[in-house]
Amino acid sequence: MNVSYRWLKDMVPGLELTPEKLAEHLALRGAPVEGIGSPGAELGDILVGKVIEAAQHPNADRLSLCIVDGGAGHVNVVCGAPNVQAGSWYPFAPVGAVLPGKFKIKKSKIRGEVSYGMLCSANELGLGGEHEGILEIHGDFTPGQSFVEAIALDDATLDVEITANRGDLLSHAGVARELASEGEGRVELPEIAGDPSVELSFDQSSPEARRGQLGIRIDDADLCSRYLGTVIRGVKIGPSPAWLQQRLRGAGSRPINNVVDATNYVMLELGQPLHAFDLNGLAGTSIVVRRRRPDEKTFTTLDGEKRFLKPDMLLICDAERPVAVAGVMGGLDSEVEDETVDVLLECALFNPKSIRATRKALVMSTDASYRFERGVDPEGMELAVSRAVALILATAGGELDGPVLDCCPVGFQPETVDLRLSRVEHLLGVAFDADRVRELLTPLGFDIVDESDGTLQVRVPGFRSYDVKREVDLIEEVARTHGYDNFPSDLGAYRPGTVVDHPMFALEDELRRSLAADGLFETQTPAFVPEGEGDVRVANPLATTEPFIRRAILPSLMRRLEYNFSHGNRDVRLFEIGTSFRSAGPGDPPFEETHVAAVLHGLREPAHWSNDESPIAIWDLKALLECVASITYGADPVLAPVSAETGASETEPVDTEIGQGMFAAGMAFDVVLTDGYIVGRGGLLTAEAVDAPAWAGEIWGLEVKLPSQPRPSETVTFLPLPQFPAVERDLAMIVPDGVLACDIAALIRASGGALLESVELFDLYRGEGALRSVEGFLSQGARSLAYRLRFCSPDRTLKDKQIDKAVGVILARLKEELSVEHRG
Amino acid sequence: MTDQKPIEALGRLEAEVLFEIAEAGDANQLEALRIAYLGRKDGRISSILRGLGSMAPGERPAVGQEANRVKAVVSQALEERERSLSSPAASSTEDLTLPGRGPWKGGLHPVTQTVDEIWHIFRDLGFTRARGPEADTEWYNFEALNTPLDHPAADEQDTLYLVDSVLLRSHTSPVQMRTMETHEPPIRIIAPGWVYRRDTYDATHTPAFMQVEGLVIDEGVTFVDFKATLAEFARRYWGSDTQTRFRPSFFPFTEPSAEVDVKRVITHPDGSKEETDWLEIMGAGMVDPAVLDNAGYDSERYTGFAFGMGPARIAKLKHGVDDLRTFFENDMRFLEQFAR
Repeated sequence: MNVSYRWLKDMVPGLELTPEKLAEHLALRGAPVEGIGSPGAELGDILVGKVIEAAQHPNADRLSLCIVDGGAGHVNVVCGAPNVQAGSWYPFAPVGAVLPGKFKIKKSKIRGEVSYGMLCSANELGLGGEHEGILEIHGDFTPGQSFVEAIALDDATLDVEITANRGDLLSHAGVARELASEGEGRVELPEIAGDPSVELSFDQSSPEARRGQLGIRIDDADLCSRYLGTVIRGVKIGPSPAWLQQRLRGAGSRPINNVVDATNYVMLELGQPLHAFDLNGLAGTSIVVRRRRPDEKTFTTLDGEKRFLKPDMLLICDAERPVAVAGVMGGLDSEVEDETVDVLLECALFNPKSIRATRKALVMSTDASYRFERGVDPEGMELAVSRAVALILATAGGELDGPVLDCCPVGFQPETVDLRLSRVEHLLGVAFDADRVRELLTPLGFDIVDESDGTLQVRVPGFRSYDVKREVDLIEEVARTHGYDNFPSDLGAYRPGTVVDHPMFALEDELRRSLAADGLFETQTPAFVPEGEGDVRVANPLATTEPFIRRAILPSLMRRLEYNFSHGNRDVRLFEIGTSFRSAGPGDPPFEETHVAAVLHGLREPAHWSNDESPIAIWDLKALLECVASITYGADPVLAPVSAETGASETEPVDTEIGQGMFAAGMAFDVVLTDGYIVGRGGLLTAEAVDAPAWAGEIWGLEVKLPSQPRPSETVTFLPLPQFPAVERDLAMIVPDGVLACDIAALIRASGGALLESVELFDLYRGEGALRSVEGFLSQGARSLAYRLRFCSPDRTLKDKQIDKAVGVILARLKEELSVEHRG
Repeated sequence: MTDQKPIEALGRLEAEVLFEIAEAGDANQLEALRIAYLGRKDGRISSILRGLGSMAPGERPAVGQEANRVKAVVSQALEERERSLSSPAASSTEDLTLPGRGPWKGGLHPVTQTVDEIWHIFRDLGFTRARGPEADTEWYNFEALNTPLDHPAADEQDTLYLVDSVLLRSHTSPVQMRTMETHEPPIRIIAPGWVYRRDTYDATHTPAFMQVEGLVIDEGVTFVDFKATLAEFARRYWGSDTQTRFRPSFFPFTEPSAEVDVKRVITHPDGSKEETDWLEIMGAGMVDPAVLDNAGYDSERYTGFAFGMGPARIAKLKHGVDDLRTFFENDMRFLEQFAR
């Protein structure tokens, strides 16, 4: 809420704080100030000018030629407005002045006459107002004095953040009350200049109040508990006096006309929204407060918008039709305008939830609805009506027509809440005695009505009836007014909790650290994705281009890769651990899985003068995928190559949704668990999957779904280290086309006997038809694979003869079962 | 020569040869020295050993022992000098200012690093980590947390819905209820995780961001413990002279509620110190009894506190990143700055 510093000072006599200090004070009371502005901030160049002469422009009917005293002598000013009069004072922008919106005044020739500046309208100065003419100001001024000072715009506007529970602070009186409670100060309502001091009488009845022609009936008392209405006849609509306009501007509100300004003033002063109807815009003089009728489909509010009404919306109606959406906005037809003579003033109390539902359904929020939603003081309505009537009579004249009708089907009953001093200490850790509690709560309007056995009975004032209902609400008030900073801050003993650290965090941490150690950078990307990348739709998405939440992480990473490419980064290695959402059926929360994904492009190691610059290749990707698979699933998973022909790995796929269609067949792997589940994929990304520049090389990616709970890690059982030396034998083999390395290695292991310790591939040639071998030429597609075999015995040194025998068995079986020939 | 005592002569010889070995500049000189002293034919030490036979029998053992000792010392000195001359450090002409060779560097996202720093401090203060789903129900996100949907407090976080009553959590606070439902007190957890809000991207808002929730429930936990724990966190995170300020605020699921501000002390390179402005770092408060009741805890017996903070905001302040969107761009040149 925008709070005028000057207004506050008027209400709290003796308030000496500067606006900055005041802001600090309010922050420590729970109402932080977001900023301090000045209503005249952009008007520093504007001066007060006196029009000495106003004459018709010789060459233009609609223009006038004025001589203006702007403090620096008399100058000619051409003016387009009809209301300029000699001898009056106006805001004057001399040549060189800058108006709001960075509009700079220049010397200019208009229809043959030179103009040295401009007389300004309220609109041009950003001061609002509905009248188009030049803004005439009244008072005793000096030509050339600052306009901002002249009309007391040198106020400070504090943008105070009011939390949702404190509707009572949405008024100057509320903020003043908080400030006054700290010292001896009391909140005083400023005197209204010209107040005729009419004594109001209130005529209360229910469910219908009627006197003479005026009648008020509440049909739906659940949505409107009280409605006060009164008629003022014979008003003269015009601009509000300067002091009133200044107050409104200081509080960030734009003056409109005296009657509307009076209602706004009271709302800003006391927090009670009011509405003034033009009585002539109503059919008859009866008000009915009721829910929408089925035939009432639309209603035009005073902002000219056609609103679509829904069932259960509360309306203010005249004898025939709706005239306002209750608590939200009045209607266009009964708006107070220049011609208005008789007004009906409304001061009502609406159900906060109903107002909230209505304004949400209408997708709008007004100053009135904002306050009604948060709760308006049920004990302050008479005062609000009195202030508004006094203001209208003082500024627009007219006469009160009869008493104020007060239709009150549900009267307000103040609540009393028990406060145990023992509970105060239990929660706050500091003991407060009854006297101290009284001292803290009373200035805020609470009343300690009784005290016995350490329990206080506290009467809650109407303006706090919305947020103080329970003992704990009062304890918060005790803590708040005592001052949070006045509590000690001693670290005491604690007991460990019953919750064990969720094991998924440790798994994710391990993955993160491992991938970072492998040279990848972790990214964070939002889960929102375009159509096609997710099957869970956001009902109210932020961007219509990204209405889904993602099924996989890899596409988001590829967009980050593209971003890096477009910024000239060639060596890009990114990974992310994030949530994958999968539809669980209509109406149900989606399934969530944690996924890890990575994308890589560029050199496999940093360029160095001692190295070849080789790009990341499938073997790098394979090792990375193996590393991820073993961290996430231990020894269980195997990498199954995705066949170039079928586009699938040999295993029967159980879940192939991860990365489907993104990888090049024949250059990718499935991560397959022993139970047949595919939990991940990795490999070469197809050209269609990434929008890469022409210079880009091969792009590698992987995505693996994490288990919902980490697999228990297997305990390592120590194997005794060999006591006798190992013997190595290198075997080169000619492998026909189609025989796989994994099968050869497996067969070597299977046939090597107990003495074979390890099998390691150390060399590979691919036949191009011309490579010599012992037998002749390596045929096209055939390969030469060289393995290093290590033999070792736990109890003796091996002899050549034993090893020759073991190698012989291996070679024989390789030849027999796989047609693999020994190359010598 | 004959009038000299042979043992003294050997001593002088030893000093002489060790000096010459130390002075030798290359392997050739060393080889020449080896021949001159230890050479089979004319080496001076070899000659002495060979001449033992012509000595008086009484002198023989002592001189022989000494000659053998000198021979061993010289051999070793030759070997050591040879090693030191041939070691690359002494002989290399390589330009060692050339860059080293190693694998690519990688690193964790700066926001993850911040989450880890926060976690490590709370771990030391006895906390463990809990988690919950990112898509949750209105019950867990609002109602269980004492936030009726028809109260304006539900608007504070503009929520993204999936279907009726199922939403993307707008804070990590649903983990409070989910943890209390499955565990008995004492509870002492933090819950880092993603949250979602219908906020347009700008310098200070992103529609998805990390949050770290905290919850402590036990008998006898008071407002004093609440303040002390968070002040201790602030001192451990920002330095021991960090001040903490608690301002009244409003969250439906805590009462009393507070915003927590810190004022850091920055030490400039010249040693001078400067206090920062108050920086808002988290929302917090004593757990509202209604939340404990919803969890089935006895709110007359148990009390506690809860807090929530945004690590991206903290990382932004810490590293001087002026726009939160930078964290989502994931430019390699940005990420590399945070690699260790």
